[in-house]
Amino acid sequence: MSALPRLRAVARREYVARVRSKAFVVITILGPAIMAGFLVVPTLVMSRQRGRPLRVAVLDGEGSLRAAVEESLARREAAGAARFDVRPAPGAAGEDARDGLRAAVLRGDLDAYVYLPADAVQRSVAEYHGRNVSNMMDIGLVDAAVEEALIGRRLTDEGLAKDAVRSLTRKVDLKTVRLSASGEREDRGGSFFLSMVLMTMLYTAVAMWGAAVMNGVIEEKTSRVVEIVVSSLPTWTFFAGKLLGVGAAGLTQFGIWGASLGLLSLWAAAMAATSGTAIPEISPLLVVSFVTCFVLGYFLYAALFAAVGAMVNSQQDAQALVFPVMAPLLTAFIFFPAVLGAPDSTLSTTLSLVPFFAPLLMFLRVAAAPPPAWQLVLCLALCLATIALVTWLASRIYRVGILMYGKRATLPEIFRWIKQS
Amino acid sequence: MRALLPGATPPRLTAPTQSEPAIALAGVTKAFHGHVAVSDLSLSIACGSVYGLLGPNGAGKTTTLRMVLNILAPDAGEVRLFGRPTDQAARDRVGYLPEERGLYPRMVVEDQLLFLAAIKGLPRAEAARRLGPWLERLGLSAWRGRKLNELSKGMQQKVQLVATILHEPDILILDEPLSGLDPVGADLVRDVLLELRRQGRTLVLSSHEMETVERLCDAITLIDGGRKVLEGPVSEVKSRYGRNAVVLAYEGDGAFLAGLAGVAKLTDFGRYVELHRREGADPQEILQAAAARLRLSRFEIVEPSLRDIFVERVRGEAA
Repeated sequence: MSALPRLRAVARREYVARVRSKAFVVITILGPAIMAGFLVVPTLVMSRQRGRPLRVAVLDGEGSLRAAVEESLARREAAGAARFDVRPAPGAAGEDARDGLRAAVLRGDLDAYVYLPADAVQRSVAEYHGRNVSNMMDIGLVDAAVEEALIGRRLTDEGLAKDAVRSLTRKVDLKTVRLSASGEREDRGGSFFLSMVLMTMLYTAVAMWGAAVMNGVIEEKTSRVVEIVVSSLPTWTFFAGKLLGVGAAGLTQFGIWGASLGLLSLWAAAMAATSGTAIPEISPLLVVSFVTCFVLGYFLYAALFAAVGAMVNSQQDAQALVFPVMAPLLTAFIFFPAVLGAPDSTLSTTLSLVPFFAPLLMFLRVAAAPPPAWQLVLCLALCLATIALVTWLASRIYRVGILMYGKRATLPEIFRWIKQS
Repeated sequence: MRALLPGATPPRLTAPTQSEPAIALAGVTKAFHGHVAVSDLSLSIACGSVYGLLGPNGAGKTTTLRMVLNILAPDAGEVRLFGRPTDQAARDRVGYLPEERGLYPRMVVEDQLLFLAAIKGLPRAEAARRLGPWLERLGLSAWRGRKLNELSKGMQQKVQLVATILHEPDILILDEPLSGLDPVGADLVRDVLLELRRQGRTLVLSSHEMETVERLCDAITLIDGGRKVLEGPVSEVKSRYGRNAVVLAYEGDGAFLAGLAGVAKLTDFGRYVELHRREGADPQEILQAAAARLRLSRFEIVEPSLRDIFVERVRGEAA
């Protein structure tokens, strides 16, 4: 009988063992849930109320600004609802009034008060006193409200009518629109979120399936199954079957994830069409590269993980060796803000072509702004060549390592293994 | 050669040429990091024989078996199976039962056995057909759907045996085949091994249980420090060591026995003692001397056991 049916038997065993495990079912279902969660929940949360309106009072040290500022604050909206509940404040702004407001804030009757000093108009200053001063969005709104009132005051002082001031100082509503070959759509940061979530999933999946290969190898080594197997068929057949079988299980998971991503994109399109809510675009290229990058990343790293598994005798032993294998993947992960910030820069282009980084960084570039086709082809070629080289090296370490018991192998020993097998 | 179970499979036409030994090692040497595990070892194991590979721990038995199984490649020398190099076709005719368990702990028994048969080149359907009768015979039927680690050690050993023989190998390499089995299980497995032998298959046994080796093996090799110390058919090995032991069981104080003129050494086993005679001493004189002072319930001139020969040779090597 030729090698192929045996290869199939090994791959089949690996595949079935993985897919039947509870962890597989849980993570496969959880993946899309997380993906959807990251995309949908912030959109929903941002479109809902952020709690009750803040109770604020305005303490006017200047004497004539209070009404304008109160009115301006009352007009501030967050997600379609008034953000501030303006409470009456003492007319005079003496020390007594300040103490009273301070006590009210500390008692919890007020959330904050705004203090306008006597020279507020000249120096363009104001103070925000509250128990919570880390709510940047709200403070931003207060800032805008006071600024609008101050500008209004200066303009009316120059002789403009109040209505004219209102219409002349309208805020800009800046829309960000993402341009791509398939058209344009409004994007309020969702695309950044999506890229990050998908890249994190890639990272996790490559690390997770790599570790699955490693733990499988360790189990076979400690249970000595490997002796039976290696006496039955060439090590290379077993090694290849193992990588293919586990990879197929990973791909099954990714297929399910990819399909849910596709469904999500349909839902997103429907949402965009009906309500105008901005959900980032999920292009076919994105889905394809998501799956492709997983396959490339998996084969690059899984062979290394298999070699690590063969070098050690227990999972504890493996810990120290896992880090050097994970380091390039981790490095790629760390570079994501740089690449996302300038996907076409020389740095991004160079990094994304390094095979050990490519599965994450080239994907990120595709997600941010699709790179030219020649770069994609070059990247694919480089990755495939590296996979061939790495698999060859790893299989030689594996061949010798699986039969070694006792202490963990040293680096010189591993070089010897590569040469001798 | 007949199928292992009557009616299970049609007879296979793989009868090896009887002139070639089933396993032949010629000048095989293997070293690890300068430590020589096996040194210039030559062996010839005849087709259809039951062969014992003996030796103390660390003697090189496992390394030797691994080279026969093509798990390790010898540094020097050659291993041949049925006169041919150990290629894939030759390896498919070998079944291996390792000393420590060689099964997936968290895999279902049935799936496991089908997988191990598949990597030996046995089509899945055929393996599935053969599986039932074997599980039945070894009392594993109720366990076929369970994970291996839910089984007792003895049960696991039986599963391992099925894994070794399901593809009906012509050569079986068995490292401690009876370990972990209760007496009933051990008898069951021994019966299977004897049946395999009757079918003309070659069995290589590596064991520390000398009784098992003595009962099953036609010929043995004793290795120590990677070298062959002793070799030959069991009866021949024993006769070479002569019938020089006497077993006595008695009531009374037998302390004087050790001081008798014809006694070289006394080993007290509690319920009986074993006396090693001096060269040329007459057992009748020992009998008379003992009968004069003790109430004897047993007197027997025995062959040296393989155990004795083993201990003597290994100690001799070490000295």
